[in-house]
Amino acid sequence: MNESGRAAGRPVAALVLPAVVLVLLMMVAPMVLLFRYSLNIFSPTELMIQALTARNYLSAVTDPYYLAVMATTIRMAVLCTLIALAAGFPAAYTLARMRGRWKAWLTLATVFPLMVGNVVRAAGWMTLLGNAGLLNAALKASGLFPDPVQLMYTPMAVALGIVTVVLPYMILTLASVIEGIPRGLEEAALNLGARPLTVFRRVVLPLALPGVVAGSALVFILCMNAYATPILLGGPQFTMMAPAVYDQFVKTTNWPFGAALAFILLAVTLALTLAGRALLQRRRHPA
Amino acid sequence: MLQDLGSQDARKTKLIAERVSRHGSMDVVHLGDADMYQMAQLGVFEEVDLKAVPNAATIIPKLRKPYSIPHIFSAQIILYNPDKVSGVTGFADLWDPKYKGRVAIPDLNYAVVTFGAALIAGGSMSNWEPAKQKLLDLKKNDPKIYPSHEQLAAALKTGEVWIAPMWLARGYMWQKAGINLAHVVPKEGAIPIVFEAAVPKNAPDKANAWAYLNAMLDAKAQQGFADRMGYVPTVSDATLPAAVGAQIGFSPADQAKFNTPDFAYQAKQLPAILDFWNKEFKA
Repeated sequence: MNESGRAAGRPVAALVLPAVVLVLLMMVAPMVLLFRYSLNIFSPTELMIQALTARNYLSAVTDPYYLAVMATTIRMAVLCTLIALAAGFPAAYTLARMRGRWKAWLTLATVFPLMVGNVVRAAGWMTLLGNAGLLNAALKASGLFPDPVQLMYTPMAVALGIVTVVLPYMILTLASVIEGIPRGLEEAALNLGARPLTVFRRVVLPLALPGVVAGSALVFILCMNAYATPILLGGPQFTMMAPAVYDQFVKTTNWPFGAALAFILLAVTLALTLAGRALLQRRRHPA
Repeated sequence: MLQDLGSQDARKTKLIAERVSRHGSMDVVHLGDADMYQMAQLGVFEEVDLKAVPNAATIIPKLRKPYSIPHIFSAQIILYNPDKVSGVTGFADLWDPKYKGRVAIPDLNYAVVTFGAALIAGGSMSNWEPAKQKLLDLKKNDPKIYPSHEQLAAALKTGEVWIAPMWLARGYMWQKAGINLAHVVPKEGAIPIVFEAAVPKNAPDKANAWAYLNAMLDAKAQQGFADRMGYVPTVSDATLPAAVGAQIGFSPADQAKFNTPDFAYQAKQLPAILDFWNKEFKA
């Protein structure tokens, strides 16, 4: 037993190796470099002066502007995650309980939006939501709103745009977990007199919790790092963290400060994801 | 030939990222004059090889630089919808309460808009401080800020906004595209912009890069660019048809009043200007 275990261990390690090397090379190395940059000092003329200082981090966390941008980002990410969860759960349940050919088609339909890039999708929303867009034309034709209603460049437009981007991730993650819940459990609960809502609350939801945790974490991380959607649909006056990081790198060429902002975003995203997970896990195994 | 299309800022970032590398990815880099100056200060460009770029002899003397060739130029003017707006004379009209909610500001042009505001508020091309209060005052007029020039053009077309500071060349292109527009060169003098091209020190194929620069200065190419894109030629031997010249050109009097940017000052102040723009003007 031990022998075979050890023998099996070696090929497993070898199988993992390419992925590990790739991640080290493509992800860890640039991040180490970026972290080093974040400790440098910026000069508009020389760009980057070698140093070991925490001043970029300090000025980011004490600047009310960046605190507000972070708050906007967190609020938007939480909101979009909750909407995606609420909208995604019924869809995932339906998909998971489906059989036969329809299931394959519906799965494909769920994945389909991912084949269109974020920018293209945002462009679609722009033609729908613009002051001269389809929706405003319809509102005007209805006679209820003679003047165009401001839909573009609003937090609502951003939330709408982001939710449609992340929804497939939520649905697919949830569906794969719900599929693993034996249908018999629900039938047994119904047989014992539970109402459908009780079955959902006491049987399906607790068993689907790992999917809720994974799906929400995945979607939350995507929302925290949203870039194209907030820029295109939120307009210049709505700022989230990822565009703020980009601005520092590209518009002001302030790489040290941009790097510090990037690491702050990473740390906050990680902390909130872990906190959310812990919260949901506790619900699953109440003390 | 492979063209690497992207924003100026992205191109700048690429230049900076590649500057320590012996083999860059670009033979020719296009940038606006202020960005070009900033990059040249970092020492990333070759000096223009005048032997390899014979057309450089025809460059308008005022536009000559050691590290780049001027490709095209234009200037920031006030663009407006003639059905809605009249009697515009300069930058100050953007503050006119008559146009509340109808003023469009291009987000990308934050620097040149800031200097435009500075000029009418007692500042200069070497002092943007007075622009701060002036721009905060402009907020009372509820200006609409657009993330891209194209979105601004769309808003002008639908009549959502009526008046905007913009490059004249863009105004010409949009007029050609059927948008009802007129323009005025501001009485305080327009701020010119020269789009330039240069060859990085680590360009893989310099011979072809110089040939490309030479072709850019060719009179025919310059005339074609003027007609299609509305930018004014930078060489003395490219004459424009009178009709085109009247729409995109600047009279000698206009040119004499050009407020040429102080590039050294601008390079130093740009981060502070953007900070103010993002945190206070757009907030």
